[in-house]
Amino acid sequence: MTSLTQRFARTPMKRALTALFVGALALPAGCEDFLDVNTNPNGPEKVTANLYLPPMLHALATTPQLDGRFIGRYTQQWYVPIAGAFTTWDRMGYDPSSDNGGQVWRDVYFVLGQNLVDMTELANAEERWDLLGVAYLLKAWGWQSATDIYGEIIVKEAIDQSKFSFNYDSQEYAYSEVQRLLNLAIENLKRTDGAVNAAYLGRTDKVYNGDRTKWLKLAYGMLALNLNHYTRKALYRPAEVIAAVNQSFTSNADDALLAYPGTQNDDINFLGRTRGNFNGYRQTRFVVGLMDGTVFEGAVDPRMSRMLSPAPDGVYRGLDINVANFGALTTTQQPNNFYGYALAGGLQLPGRYLWADKVRMPIMTYAQLQFIKAEAAYRLGDLATALSAYREGISSHIDFVNARNTDNAQSPLPITAAEKATFLANTAIVPAAASALSLTQIMSQKYIAQWAWGHSEIWMDMRRYNYTDIDPKSGMQVFPGFAPPTLLFPDNGGKIVHRIRPRFNSEYVWNRPGLDAIGGLALDYHTKPIWITQP
Amino acid sequence: MMKKRVLALLMGTFLCASPVLAQQKTVTGKVTRDGAVPLSGVSVVLRGSTQGTQTNTNGDYSIRADVGQVVQFRLIGYVPIERTIGAENTIFVQLEKTASSLNAVVVTALGETTQRRNLGTSQQTVQGADIAQTGRENFINGLQGRVAGVEVISTSGVPGASSSITIRGVSSISGSNQPLMIIDGMPMDNKTLNSGALASDAPGSLTAFSNRGIDFSNRAIDINPEDIETLVVLKGPEAAALYGIDAGNGAIVITTKRGKPGTGGFEYSNRLRIDQTRGNPVVQNTYAPSGTTGDLLNAFSYFGAPYAAGTTFYDNVSGFFQTAQSQQHNLSFSGATQDSRINYRLALAANAQGSVIPESDLNRINLTGRTGAQVTRWLNADLSAQYSVLENDQALKGTNGPLIGLLLWPQTDDARDYLTPAGTRRRITVLASNSETDNPYFSVNKNRVNAKTSRLITNFGLTLTPVKWASLKTNIQSDGYTDEKLIVRHPESAGVPNDNNGILDNATDVVRNLTAQTLLTFNRKQLTKNISVSGLGGNQISDFRSNVSGLLGRDFLDPNFVSANNTNVRTNRTILTQRRLVSAYAQAVLNYHDYLYVTVTGRNDWTSTIPTERNSFFYPGVTSSFVFTDAFPTIGKFMTGKLRAAYAEVGNDARPYAYRPALEFKTTSNGGYGYGFTGPNLALRPEFATSYETGTELGFFDDRIGLDLTVYRKEKTDQIVNDIRGSYGTGFILFNLNGAATRNEGFEATLRATPIEQRGFSWDVLANFERARGTVLALPNALPESYVSDTWLYGNVRNGVQPGLSTRALTGLFYLRDTIAGSRKMLIDPTTGLPLRSTAFIDGGYDRQPDFTVGLTNTVRFRNLTMSALLDFRKGGDVFNATEHFLTSRGLSNRTLDRNTPRVIEGVLRDGRENTANPTPNNIVVVPAVQTGFYSGISEELFIEKDINWVRLRDVTVRYTLPGRYFKARDASMYITGTDLFVYSNYSGLDPIVNGNTAAVGGSGGAGIDFGNFPMPRGYAVGFKLGY
Repeated sequence: MTSLTQRFARTPMKRALTALFVGALALPAGCEDFLDVNTNPNGPEKVTANLYLPPMLHALATTPQLDGRFIGRYTQQWYVPIAGAFTTWDRMGYDPSSDNGGQVWRDVYFVLGQNLVDMTELANAEERWDLLGVAYLLKAWGWQSATDIYGEIIVKEAIDQSKFSFNYDSQEYAYSEVQRLLNLAIENLKRTDGAVNAAYLGRTDKVYNGDRTKWLKLAYGMLALNLNHYTRKALYRPAEVIAAVNQSFTSNADDALLAYPGTQNDDINFLGRTRGNFNGYRQTRFVVGLMDGTVFEGAVDPRMSRMLSPAPDGVYRGLDINVANFGALTTTQQPNNFYGYALAGGLQLPGRYLWADKVRMPIMTYAQLQFIKAEAAYRLGDLATALSAYREGISSHIDFVNARNTDNAQSPLPITAAEKATFLANTAIVPAAASALSLTQIMSQKYIAQWAWGHSEIWMDMRRYNYTDIDPKSGMQVFPGFAPPTLLFPDNGGKIVHRIRPRFNSEYVWNRPGLDAIGGLALDYHTKPIWITQP
Repeated sequence: MMKKRVLALLMGTFLCASPVLAQQKTVTGKVTRDGAVPLSGVSVVLRGSTQGTQTNTNGDYSIRADVGQVVQFRLIGYVPIERTIGAENTIFVQLEKTASSLNAVVVTALGETTQRRNLGTSQQTVQGADIAQTGRENFINGLQGRVAGVEVISTSGVPGASSSITIRGVSSISGSNQPLMIIDGMPMDNKTLNSGALASDAPGSLTAFSNRGIDFSNRAIDINPEDIETLVVLKGPEAAALYGIDAGNGAIVITTKRGKPGTGGFEYSNRLRIDQTRGNPVVQNTYAPSGTTGDLLNAFSYFGAPYAAGTTFYDNVSGFFQTAQSQQHNLSFSGATQDSRINYRLALAANAQGSVIPESDLNRINLTGRTGAQVTRWLNADLSAQYSVLENDQALKGTNGPLIGLLLWPQTDDARDYLTPAGTRRRITVLASNSETDNPYFSVNKNRVNAKTSRLITNFGLTLTPVKWASLKTNIQSDGYTDEKLIVRHPESAGVPNDNNGILDNATDVVRNLTAQTLLTFNRKQLTKNISVSGLGGNQISDFRSNVSGLLGRDFLDPNFVSANNTNVRTNRTILTQRRLVSAYAQAVLNYHDYLYVTVTGRNDWTSTIPTERNSFFYPGVTSSFVFTDAFPTIGKFMTGKLRAAYAEVGNDARPYAYRPALEFKTTSNGGYGYGFTGPNLALRPEFATSYETGTELGFFDDRIGLDLTVYRKEKTDQIVNDIRGSYGTGFILFNLNGAATRNEGFEATLRATPIEQRGFSWDVLANFERARGTVLALPNALPESYVSDTWLYGNVRNGVQPGLSTRALTGLFYLRDTIAGSRKMLIDPTTGLPLRSTAFIDGGYDRQPDFTVGLTNTVRFRNLTMSALLDFRKGGDVFNATEHFLTSRGLSNRTLDRNTPRVIEGVLRDGRENTANPTPNNIVVVPAVQTGFYSGISEELFIEKDINWVRLRDVTVRYTLPGRYFKARDASMYITGTDLFVYSNYSGLDPIVNGNTAAVGGSGGAGIDFGNFPMPRGYAVGFKLGY
């Protein structure tokens, strides 16, 4: 090497060659700066804590609607008529090797997922107790939604990028975790110290615009919902349910609603006309029966013409889920879709009720909580409280329907005060005496109040009452007129559905050992009852 | 920092240079062959310098040299000769055609030339003229069959379709398997824009193309084949050893044409071509649509009653295709000074390519310049520039493409009548407007896939020869282009365009790749009498950058006005990608007795895409060549031969930003940030490939027969799999993980023969044989399967790979079969009599890898007439005929004509006894016409056609050289060329060479998945060439 360098030195080019050598040797050192271009310029790696919030709040209101397309068929809120056959979901089945029904799974683990972990850490470090409270509430909402739909879920091992197979946790654990998280949420949302700041939270919180006290009420509401699911358990404490409801929403003004800006596909209401996701869906005979007087002694619900869709001949009919397609109904007798049209209508025309682009989609409502209170009080034996909560539930839901139908200038006219008063005075709907109140009434009116949006809770109610339990008080089914489809999906083995299978492209492909441990690979796994609905 | 360093280096080389003075004189002479035939274009170079010249058309040369210097006379295909300058002032040289191809001069890595005998690895050279004569606008398409081990798959037969090229099979499960393109020693971008760059393809969007519905050209299409002098395919490990990590899949080294002394002047050539579609798709016209409501069909299903006698049918299918007209014009002006101190070439080319599909075409203009000058005795400067402008219009492909619409359209309706009197889409079904598949004419007239690209590649090189034993060469290259895409999906077009009331995409990809390379070459140095050594060292610094600005407009105001300004809802998206590389490398060649060569290489790369602590990696290579017929002259009397062996490793990096996720702006309500699909992997490390290769080159009968055999094995370990899935329990959907392993093995053989060689009549044969195998050995974290999601484009079949399967396997929801060894009977649903299908993606034994391929070129010369034909043979390899599955499910395939025939599907009932010794054979009679599930639920598996073979006449050219001086031309010839004139294949579809995706998709991609793709057309071209 020495002789080589000496030779260089003798040539006229020595400086240049020396420069090259020095350059080559110095390369690695200089490389570091030059190579430091691997920070993704298309997005930041960390952002201020509140910027994580909007996609999660979007999920809070929207995600349930995606799986609602399917749960809505289990619960016979709607039916998808097709020629000569029935869809798998209308037969209480599922779509094999499809992610249909897996949106909650996706969004709890992915949209919340690491984002929520990061937001929680930041909010905690920056002492933003209000945002931290919202974070705990979101986490609780995720597990509550997921376990109510899927039963056993991944909780303890979740959100860990170093693992590639995950063990499932029991629903019992998931429920207790939801309670723990909601208590943490309540604890933090009560705080006013630290960096609690309504303006900071309100910058991205388009549900309550940063109002900590309303988030606090929502946390109590979610706690009430959770505790009220224990009706079949010995642990059921109706007094605690009522106490939680009392600390939550006090009027429709507290409703947790998300407004959709409607500027592009993803920020338009999933039920909206522009999205067109419900073109093929039609109302069932069951839901029409609850509102057209079939069940409740001729009391025609004024909400029917504001929520449901008439056929072109103006009559409100529901489809029989055991008859393929529209059956014998003529074209003018076939109910329109929920937007109010026989076919996919023009984009600029008005929609109906929640089927409008910019409607404010509920996450939880005052009416819903009043029905939860009514059921708990009824079970506690406090029938007077039950009746007043029940009446308040119907009344506030009528207001809710009117409010929603004006969110986006939908076509139905508002329910007048007179119509409302007449309806509430009908004893087939609201009994004069508290002693006459039945579970059938409470649960049916709760079903109406949650129809089209509260899918998980509707399904939970139905599963808690085995779909077709008889209420001894009324002598009718708790959900009168409901009957499982006669032609069940082949894999069901004759059993009715109790859960949705975990997301196919997450679990059935990549976490089969985890599923196997809970019996999830069985063909009829979706008919296995969930823990909370079992005595 | 680094830039300054490079500049300093360059400045240094300029400033320090000073002329070397010595006694010089001018030597002139003539170079001839076969006695008196002058040889033009022979390079006459002073050994150990860049100083040199070339002979003119009369074979004359003139060069200044010192007494004692050695002059080399080299011409590709001839044995080089050296002469030492003595007292004489003229040197006449007689060059012999290489008795052995081993002595032929070839281009090797880094733009160096060497004698073939040196090479320890397999490489093959293709003459630019052979590619250019095929008249294909994308030179990649001219390579199939010309090189053993190279496989070219064009996406479709539409002008501007992307072509993927792989050398020695597929080894990367998810990344690119394409070789590095080198032009004049520097890297050339051959990107096919991924549709993921479009704003309409933003993660989670419903308007995504996912590389299925559209195709963009691979950017090698910007190069005019007429500008290529030679093209060398480096197949194996040596490519990577010297070209670095991007050449892990081999390299294609293009040398562009230069001016030569004497041959200068103007040259004009043209080519007029017509193309016709090769074979029309066939659909049944026995059974009418399933039902009608008034004049309208209920659906595009054809399970109805037989057509009434006397029904009028329109020949929509063959009426749709048109005869394409294309033309090419090439004008060049080139030359060099007599002493070759200055050479230049300027070329202008125009290429207007028509299509057999209405409204598709491609237009390209190329302006090329290359000049070199010997500035002083020790300084040589070289400047080249390729400028191209290209515009391309394509039809949509796949589900929303015109082919599917064409096949679905009822033959009782005239498809040409596609508009209502009001100018809107004429509807013929009662289906919702978003579910009625587009009329094919509507599809091509109202939708647009347009690309406008302008590109400039400039390469500036300086070579310094300060001393006789070394030279220093520095090149700086800029490869930059602007690629503007405009995609319009008309508001009335079925599917998502209709849902969104029209979708318009604008995307501009601004690419700027800069590379600086410095090479220090040490000339051959005699260590002892028999041992000599030569070497080189160098470094390369690259900066690759792409900035795609995308705009998505939806909801058209005026349905027919094309502009983003006409859209009601707009979103934009910017994707900036940057990757930098720094490399240092060295090579030493030991030569013993001119018959044993050992080459040792080492390279270290530093990449920006791997975490800093692991971003530096070194890899070595050793190759050796043993010319045994020179070592043992007794054998050498009868033949020439050499043995080769090579071993090399190569590292490879990840794609940019692969290990730490960034947050994405979310388009859900009220914006905000959230993670993208891909999770973090801070432990990401480079992947490594280890290759072994051995082979032999043999020549017999004065080299009239030559045989080149190669066997190789490559193992890629710790392979990075992009976008592999896992449980969402991780918090993410996709990961970029190390841990896959693949093994590629193969055998290549090239046979050259000249069975006849007489004055005025000769016949040459070149046969290239390849057999390649790629196997997946492992997947990261023992995950069961990995697939590239874009390939899940039709039904439930995708390019899934599992350990033990081929790297080009297909997985799907295939039929369930019994588990008894050797039985594999289908399981039948006891209630319906129809087969049961898996609900998970399983292996069905399908492999798209051919058993072998052969490219056979025959060249016959008779006096002034030359005929050259390339036949392409393939044996084996599966192709998924998704189009046929689609037609079957709609009752349009001829295989549904027996729909009224009762049949029992062979298999066993799934009644609990299916896996016992006594299963219940299926005895349930099914009549497909009645049981609609027979066709609608039919597994795609039945349409994966096994062992597809073909014989394809890729191209044939007959050229007639006009005797005398026609039109006073120095050189005049006429030619007729045919491309893809025939394909004999057992494939039932239109063309087995298709890609359901585009060349942008990684891994094995969508090649061999045929859905709604147009075949390569049959072309006939005539042209002439005049040289002045």
